[in-house]
Amino acid sequence: MTMKLSTDPSAATLLPIAKKEGISTVWDRHRAMQPQCGFGQLGVCCRICWKGPCRIDPFGDGPQRGICGADADTIVARNVIRMIAAGAAGHSEHGRHVALALQGVAEGRLPAYQIRDEAKLRAVAAKLDICTEGRDIPAIAAAVAKATLEDFQNQDHDAPCNWIEATLTKKRLERLQALHVLPHNIDAVITQIMGRTLVGCDADPVNLILGGIKGALADFDGMCLATELSDALFGAPAPVVTAANLGVIKPDAVNIAVHGHNPLLSEVVCEVAGLMDEEARKAGAKEGINIVGICCTGNEVMVRHGIPLAANYLSQELALVTGAVDAMVVDVQCIMPSVSEIGACFHTAVITTMAENKIPGATHVDFKEETALENARRIVATAIEAYKRRDPRRVNIPDFKQTAIVGFGVESVVGALATLNAEDPLQPLIENIANGNIRGIALFAGCNSTQVAQDSSFVTMAKKLAANNVLMLATGCGAGSFAKHGLMTQEATLEYAGESLKAVLTAIGTSAGLNGPLPLVLHMGSCVDNSRAVQVAVAVADKLGVDLDQLPLVASAPEAMSEKAVAIGTWSVALGIPTHLGTMPQVTGSAKVTELLTRTAKDLLGGYFLVELDPEVAADKLLEVIEERRKGLGI
Amino acid sequence: MKRQRENAIVFAYPERCLGCHGCELACAVAHSGTGLHQAALSGLTLRPRNKVVAAGGVMMPVQCRQCEDAPCAAACPTGAMLQESGQVGVREKNCVGCKVCVMVCPFGAISVKHEGSEPESCRTNGGIARKCDLCAGTGREAPACVEGCPTKALSLVDLEEYRQTLIEARAAELAQSLQHLKSRKARI
Repeated sequence: MTMKLSTDPSAATLLPIAKKEGISTVWDRHRAMQPQCGFGQLGVCCRICWKGPCRIDPFGDGPQRGICGADADTIVARNVIRMIAAGAAGHSEHGRHVALALQGVAEGRLPAYQIRDEAKLRAVAAKLDICTEGRDIPAIAAAVAKATLEDFQNQDHDAPCNWIEATLTKKRLERLQALHVLPHNIDAVITQIMGRTLVGCDADPVNLILGGIKGALADFDGMCLATELSDALFGAPAPVVTAANLGVIKPDAVNIAVHGHNPLLSEVVCEVAGLMDEEARKAGAKEGINIVGICCTGNEVMVRHGIPLAANYLSQELALVTGAVDAMVVDVQCIMPSVSEIGACFHTAVITTMAENKIPGATHVDFKEETALENARRIVATAIEAYKRRDPRRVNIPDFKQTAIVGFGVESVVGALATLNAEDPLQPLIENIANGNIRGIALFAGCNSTQVAQDSSFVTMAKKLAANNVLMLATGCGAGSFAKHGLMTQEATLEYAGESLKAVLTAIGTSAGLNGPLPLVLHMGSCVDNSRAVQVAVAVADKLGVDLDQLPLVASAPEAMSEKAVAIGTWSVALGIPTHLGTMPQVTGSAKVTELLTRTAKDLLGGYFLVELDPEVAADKLLEVIEERRKGLGI
Repeated sequence: MKRQRENAIVFAYPERCLGCHGCELACAVAHSGTGLHQAALSGLTLRPRNKVVAAGGVMMPVQCRQCEDAPCAAACPTGAMLQESGQVGVREKNCVGCKVCVMVCPFGAISVKHEGSEPESCRTNGGIARKCDLCAGTGREAPACVEGCPTKALSLVDLEEYRQTLIEARAAELAQSLQHLKSRKARI
């Protein structure tokens, strides 16, 4: 039974304990929710006004239009682009938060933060065409923050957002401009989606989807700036050896799980925890304080500081069932509201920190950048207090953890390649793609979903692509899956990579001082860091003088769930990348919208959605796409 | 003589029905020979054999009652409708779509509209009598509408079991009363 729910070995250990304790988990709730509504699955349920709810009969016998007159195409298109707007809003709020923090640092208002990576800040300034000569770091930071915040303020519809303009190939920008889908202002574009999908507005499915694509590109803009400014504040990732899965929780430490997405809080918690280690030892924790990560907050501190990752999305509750997490500190996104109730079954303090993200039953510490150190001290002190209440008889930490070599940002990938060719670091990568040692590149992204046995599709697909010499990058919960299942190790490269891929990864890894190959899958960071993969792709495309839709590059979200994944998948398509979905998108109630996203998009944008629920077949289809692209390039 | 047993029925508890039409969708898909998304994308016309209605202040789906003395079977001029395997069955090859059954069914549970892809010849509308078949032949344990109802408003009722449950429950109550009666008698 457990095998069908999750392939994570920790789940097999902890689910029976949860059952015995009467704790219901995401999988119990999934079962209780069956059968799920067919109209909702098809996307033909409309709830945007109070004449409704309306639903269209997908089989032609019942109503074909809602009460207002909207048909299935209109309803499906409106529903899916509202999801894109929500995803874009989530990422962009995260981005705005980081940009405002950078501005605060530039103005000397935020003592808890510094520019830890000045080189990155200068690189960002150069990218945004900001003059750095004769300017000190605070002045450059102020200018970068200002240019970034313009992406939320610009009212000139013809002037695209600064970040997207600085990030894509020229050909791609022209193509997107011709379709009128380049965003000029993140907030405005999201608002526009909400406005046009109001009752009695845009009813043309094609026009609606184009509006959604614009929203998705606004999402891309927000993700780029969030990633790059976080790097400037906290340092660009560098390769580091760490571990993943619930075995990273320590029985003799005060365990603090940082969960959510935003690094602003978790960075300070990590720092303060270091200073309060002695207090934890005094409270009886022989190993002091142990910070572990969950979801993308986990990925952020993992790739920057080697903090071990305890869980990805679907196993966040299981972290609590170990009975050894003393505090779970959450910020935004992907936090199951059930965590406060499960925390209450143990001694665990579940602490919410963002004014607009509270959970009933949780403790709230109102986190502000201005008072970050004080807030973090209170959080760590709460964890130490909770530790004193821990019942050792209820502690069940699964003995599962895997080594993971992580931290492959653009700088570290280019850095590793530079050890082979200092003058032209991209050349070795391009050469190996051209000569076929690397057949193509696949970016694995996205969530876990209860529609798929946890992690199974990621792992199945990665092994098949590796054997076929595809270089793999990963972010978000996909990266978490690979880390937990030991695919971010040198051993995995030796075991699963095809011969030519193995040779390339070994050459780069050895020359970069890793005493062996690079790991089989390169961990680029959190889901917001998907923009890193685009940067590598753009650099390669620019060097070859081609556009992104010509590269043997594919993306896959085999266990997608969140509205953020809808936004990311859509911009991936808009950038020209064939994008696989391994869960069924809620659009099949409209043949027109389905056709648009899976076929017409290929003509318009070069990228398109490829829906395939079987991971083995999906891997084959992606390999076919890669070969088709190679043929197009004549390699 | 053949052992007599009433036909099973799909029974709806109106107080549990939310009017979501999920049972209709489940019925249509169950008789399509394919899955939900594939059926929707391939543009098949599918017709549920049940219909959710709001009347008398309640909502519930209505479907064939599998009548024991079925007017449809009595009226069918071609012998296409008949008592068969514990339900009122339709022998589709005998049906000409004359609609007599539709006219005599007191529940409005029969339709003769065509289903699936468009009929190829203009000599036929492709319509034949369709009604709830309790999902016989679809290989499922319970009818799709029963499985598909999120509030468990629908159940497949075997009348003998149903009656037996009632009888046993009432007998248990009576037995309890008799116990009291006995002890009272003893006191007198």
